[in-house]
Amino acid sequence: MVFLPDESRSLPPPPLLNKGSVWLGFSGWMAALMDNAFNQRPIFGAGIHRQVLLATLGCFVGYQLVKRAEYVHAKVDRELFEYIRHHPEDFQPSTG
Amino acid sequence: MAAGLRAVRRWGLVVASASPSPSLAFTRSAFVVKKANNAQPNWLGVGLAFGTSAALWALLIKQHNEDVMEYERRKASAHKCRQCS
Repeated sequence: MVFLPDESRSLPPPPLLNKGSVWLGFSGWMAALMDNAFNQRPIFGAGIHRQVLLATLGCFVGYQLVKRAEYVHAKVDRELFEYIRHHPEDFQPSTG
Repeated sequence: MAAGLRAVRRWGLVVASASPSPSLAFTRSAFVVKKANNAQPNWLGVGLAFGTSAALWALLIKQHNEDVMEYERRKASAHKCRQCS
């Protein structure tokens, strides 16, 4: 099962900083801050390289996940509209 | 992450120096490990982390630009087929 099929590239790509990448990047940063806290280091000032790396990883994974989610949603929408197109008798506006 | 690597290295040194630690794998007695020294940076770890971050950002931005270009290309070729605009 391919993570991002080729037809997903026909969709408009999400912006670089979208809900998923910002949230996962933030949670990666939080994980680094919590690692500092648990190891009794200064929370913000220690391990900057760790904070940057985990935030970057979060943004990267978040971007890929949002692309996959948008592809799945678009696929479901396409199938839904195809079904409606093939069964017009079921989707007439109600009379009265 | 780096703390885990340090633990593995310390455990390896401990076993190599034949100290009275149990021969069970992956246990870490507080009596034989040294305290982590946060005052001296692990420059290799720092360099690897920053290098990996830079590589990941470059990859992400490159992929995003490629995605945008591919989308525009496909949109343009779709319009060409249907002879509109």
